[in-house]
Amino acid sequence: MSTVILQQGINGVVLGSLYVLVALGLTLIYGVLVQINFAHADVVTIGAFAAYFFTFTFGGNYLASIAVALLVGAILGWLVNAAIFAPLRERGSELLPLIATIGVSVLLQNVMLLWFGPIPYAFDSPYSNQVIRLWGGTFITGQNLIIIAVSTLTIALLYAFMKFTFMGKALRAVAQDRETAGLMGINPNHLIMLTFVIASALAGMGGAMLGPILVLTPFAGTTVIVKAFAIVIIGGFGNVEGTIIAGLLVGLIESYTTQFVNPGLIDIVVFTLLLMMLAFRPTGLIAEKREENV
Amino acid sequence: MKTRSAIFCLGMVAILGMFAVANPAHAQDKLIKIGGLFPMSGPGAYFGAQDKQGIELAIEQFNKTGVNGYKLEVKFEDSACSPLPATQAAKRLLEQYKPLVVVGEECSDATLAIMPVMEQAKVPLLNAGSSSIKITDPGNPWTFRIMPNEVMQGVDIATHAYKRLNAGTAVLLYENTNAGIGNAKVFGDTFKSLGGQILADIGFGRDVNDFTSIATRITGLGKVDVIPTYTLEGQGLRITQALAQAGVTKGGGGQSIQLGTIWLPFGFEQKAGKASLGYVRIVQFDPTDKREVVQDFIRTFKAKYNQDPTHINAHAFDQILLIADVVRRGATDAQSVRDIMAGTKNFSGVTGSVEFDKTNQNIKMDTIHYMETLPDLSWKALGWN
Repeated sequence: MSTVILQQGINGVVLGSLYVLVALGLTLIYGVLVQINFAHADVVTIGAFAAYFFTFTFGGNYLASIAVALLVGAILGWLVNAAIFAPLRERGSELLPLIATIGVSVLLQNVMLLWFGPIPYAFDSPYSNQVIRLWGGTFITGQNLIIIAVSTLTIALLYAFMKFTFMGKALRAVAQDRETAGLMGINPNHLIMLTFVIASALAGMGGAMLGPILVLTPFAGTTVIVKAFAIVIIGGFGNVEGTIIAGLLVGLIESYTTQFVNPGLIDIVVFTLLLMMLAFRPTGLIAEKREENV
Repeated sequence: MKTRSAIFCLGMVAILGMFAVANPAHAQDKLIKIGGLFPMSGPGAYFGAQDKQGIELAIEQFNKTGVNGYKLEVKFEDSACSPLPATQAAKRLLEQYKPLVVVGEECSDATLAIMPVMEQAKVPLLNAGSSSIKITDPGNPWTFRIMPNEVMQGVDIATHAYKRLNAGTAVLLYENTNAGIGNAKVFGDTFKSLGGQILADIGFGRDVNDFTSIATRITGLGKVDVIPTYTLEGQGLRITQALAQAGVTKGGGGQSIQLGTIWLPFGFEQKAGKASLGYVRIVQFDPTDKREVVQDFIRTFKAKYNQDPTHINAHAFDQILLIADVVRRGATDAQSVRDIMAGTKNFSGVTGSVEFDKTNQNIKMDTIHYMETLPDLSWKALGWN
């Protein structure tokens, strides 16, 4: 039994790492713009498809496909922000860009449906079937090891970027007070663009790693995004550290609920936690002033 | 000038009238309108894509000669494998297109939702892919089903698991839908009544992506002989792979045999890879069947789509085949389609034969074909029915 409990812990960390990658982009955008991006899920799906086609149609290396998906996500983030969100923000309404994210989401899903069709793609990375035996009868697949490694590296790089680089500090300044940051010579529009690019790049990369786990269809990302929203709320809107902890927590909750209760009750457990957080600790796991979140 | 205009108008009316007489296919009373309610989006969209292929092929064939002087026409709506969009699509179809008969849905929850709408409109609904018992028990006089229901399937597969595979223990895996829960329950009840033991009963939502935790839980249950699994293709793929990775099933070096349903399309084994080794599942269509109707279907399907047909293509094709048969037997409107269809006996289609009981359920079991996945990922027909 101890082996199974330990194995479920490993499973939970892997799942949590994936959720963190998806949720980080959401929390970054919320932290800077105070905007929920419903199209984020579809960037995850496009990242997964980019990795799939790079690997299987063009015969590329799976690890390289993660970088390709990151690039595709970044370009898509830049395009969507420049073409749709930025012009709407200039009109001064907070509601228009929010509604636009729903429109972009539906548009992207239907374009993917047209291009890729509705039939699930079998996206297996060469590391999916490599089973690495660990202590006490536990195991991890090569793919899951990559997920943990890439997630850890990404989180570390993002943290270093935000804390130690000029651009990261400028981004935090825009998150705290966009107008004052503008007076200090920072161009908020450039920083908002950067936020979209980073968030979408993270989503694309997340898609490349989720591809071999997800059921890859044009609607794949939507199955993850609801959980990612819950993680962002549990972690604290716009709080990067809180999002990381909440992501891992939700991953572990899912694994142990599957083991000791029933996987059919996962959503009940996770969303009960979300409601409790909203009721008793609305600032999230790590309580900070919102202005200091990013 | 007025006289010349009047003559011109009369001439045009006469020409248009002659054109209408010369093209009976376009006359409203010589057309059998068929509504198609299938999932074209969402996780069940692969059903819709394949249903559409089968239906369009059948209609193309029948319209070469017509049926009793009628041409067949179909209009599809996306019912999304889900109750609310299915109901909306059904109402849209009935109000705007006014079909004489509707074919669909695939998912039981969606079919159950549209049944009262069809009954109210008094338009027959012909279903080929939903397994929930509630569709025909109690059902309603306007709904017909040509596939075996969950009880027929569940009893059959549980009996074969116990008697032919000598299974004594089972774990039930199913999506939390009417069909998933119903199929798993019938299997479990039958298996237990035969003397088998259910070690775990595991339901999950359609939003679950990672099945490693479920596979891990099964590793802690001891010896599991069979794992009946009731999911759509996408989750089915991931479950099969997770069970193999955890060393539970034959595909991963374990002993358990996964048992599957007709929900999975052909080609599943190629997508799941070696993990699907030893997978035993039922399909509605056996391409090795030597009957002329089957071989003709395979040949024409390949010619039109340049690919092998799946059992979803086949059961969609059969829906039109049956409607054409009903029209051939004299049906001209929705009421007569219903009445004549209810009296169907000894109809032979691509998937098997059809004979409806008083609940409009097909009672023939030759539409269930058992297959086992071989090491080269091809499958062999087990010939259990």
